[in-house]
Amino acid sequence: MSQCSPNALCFGDGLPGAGVPCHAEVNPAGLVLDLGEASAETIPFSSFSIDAGGFDHDHLVLKWQARSGSRTLYLKDPHLIRAFRQAAPPELTAHVERTAQQVRRARHGRRTILLVALGSLVGLILLLWLGSDTLVQMAVSRIPVEWEQPIGEAARSQFLAGQTVVKEGPAVAAVQEITKRLADAAPGNPYKFEVTVVRSDVVNAFALPGGYVVVFTGLLKKAESPEEVAGVLAHELNHVLLRHGLERIVKTAGLVAVVTIVVGDQQGLVGLAKRLGVELLTLKFGREQETQADLQGLQLLHRAKIAPDGMIHFFERLSESDKLQVEILSTHPMSAARADRLKAEAASLSRQTPEPFSFEWSAVQAGL
Amino acid sequence: MKSEILYPGAFPMVRVELAAGETVKAESGAMVACSPTVDVESKMEGGFLGALSRRMLSGEKFFFQTLRATRGAGEVLLAPTVPGDIVILELDGVNEYLVQKDGFLAGADSVKIESKMQSLSRGLLGGEGFFILRMSGTGTLVLNSFGAIHKVELKPDQEYIVDNSHLVAWTATTSYNIEKASAGWIASFTSGEGLVCRFRGPGVVYIQSRNPGGFGNWIRQFIPVSE
Ligand SMILES: [Zn+2]
Repeated sequence: MSQCSPNALCFGDGLPGAGVPCHAEVNPAGLVLDLGEASAETIPFSSFSIDAGGFDHDHLVLKWQARSGSRTLYLKDPHLIRAFRQAAPPELTAHVERTAQQVRRARHGRRTILLVALGSLVGLILLLWLGSDTLVQMAVSRIPVEWEQPIGEAARSQFLAGQTVVKEGPAVAAVQEITKRLADAAPGNPYKFEVTVVRSDVVNAFALPGGYVVVFTGLLKKAESPEEVAGVLAHELNHVLLRHGLERIVKTAGLVAVVTIVVGDQQGLVGLAKRLGVELLTLKFGREQETQADLQGLQLLHRAKIAPDGMIHFFERLSESDKLQVEILSTHPMSAARADRLKAEAASLSRQTPEPFSFEWSAVQAGL
Repeated sequence: MKSEILYPGAFPMVRVELAAGETVKAESGAMVACSPTVDVESKMEGGFLGALSRRMLSGEKFFFQTLRATRGAGEVLLAPTVPGDIVILELDGVNEYLVQKDGFLAGADSVKIESKMQSLSRGLLGGEGFFILRMSGTGTLVLNSFGAIHKVELKPDQEYIVDNSHLVAWTATTSYNIEKASAGWIASFTSGEGLVCRFRGPGVVYIQSRNPGGFGNWIRQFIPVSE
């Protein structure tokens, strides 16, 4: 009995379903098969029908009728397969040669695609490593809007876990009305902005990717008019519309995020956002992004027929007083220049009569 | 490496005995306990990109843990995250298994693990995504399932249909196609639900008696939504 290591799997009537590991060898007459029984048998080439099979179509499958029933043999070892193909009569292998060629061609094509993909991936990673903003934007632009929702949702639920949410009342209705006015006025807005009011003295608001807006009651208390709140929201909504949060994620997570996006795996991206969640909320955007959100915010107010004075006034109040210890300054450093730029921009907008909100601001504040 | 299933059934563990210097690869987080002679290393199988591809492309497993009996013989206890059976297979160098991403619990160091891309059409339609793990080489392979594990043996050309989300592992000699179970392409495309795999023997298919996704949906209804 030979102690050769198995190089093939034999299936068939009366044999276990997982197959019997066995040893096969090619000789000029046929295939010598050692099933670990009394003696190895030689099966002549003429009794085989052959095909390609297995997960990658890289197994050679031999079928024949033995005395004990039908047999199927899977060969995997490339040396053994080559030996078989060389020794077997050409009419037997012709069909397999054709299949093999197809497999080889398919595999070659796959390899080329893989190499090109890998090459461009490595290139992209290298460029990102060097911190190119254009590439970050390119990667961000590849994220479909639907993907942003689970990302923002994950970050929001993580944040809200320890907070008291104001579910209804005049304040919630007012913030919803303001948000809807703005969202409806944003041209080509793909987001369904969803507002949550959180009971807290924090004077701030933020918007997460996917359009999840959080407003703290502290901001509503501090604001002198709904137009001031609208100014802050117009700014925040533009961080979403301009996808600044996503840019931030891609910049922070760099390589991993890009790979995820390129490969198109949403699950990975959501997991990533979950891990970055807290950071996502405390992020300080770059000065360029802030200016962009300011100016676009102003435009948005104008489109929504909301007086832009509120935004400018609120920003002025923030920049004038260092004593006004409010959290919005930690994420949004105010400067007189910022309010001035807005003033100049507002002057260039066409004159229009603002449309008032349906609620009384004093009543909203009284309900807080 | 010698392994033994403790408490077979819903909450099993595996005891792995290691000779001095021997190692076992395990799903990260699977280690329950070990002898003081055993060291835990987080090794990235297949280099950095390999680990990256597994993490990003085949679910949560960033690393495999490698447990090494550095300072003499010892034992390791391993357990899966979800309740369910464990099955121990022996690879002899000829047989190979394709394993769904959550099915791998542990393997001898001589077991080779690759993430394998399913063909485009299979990957697109399969809930398990593009990537599965291909186990080859020699030595012990430990798989785990959600619920009980059921072994189906297929004769050459015998067909069998399995719901996609109940798949644990199958042999490389078994060919398969992914098909929709019923009408409604849209649902299948978006969720991967309602898809079945048509397997064709010879070989073995391991299936799990519970569907992790389905269980998740069922349990979600009892979790109060924190707003
Ligand atoms: Zn801002």
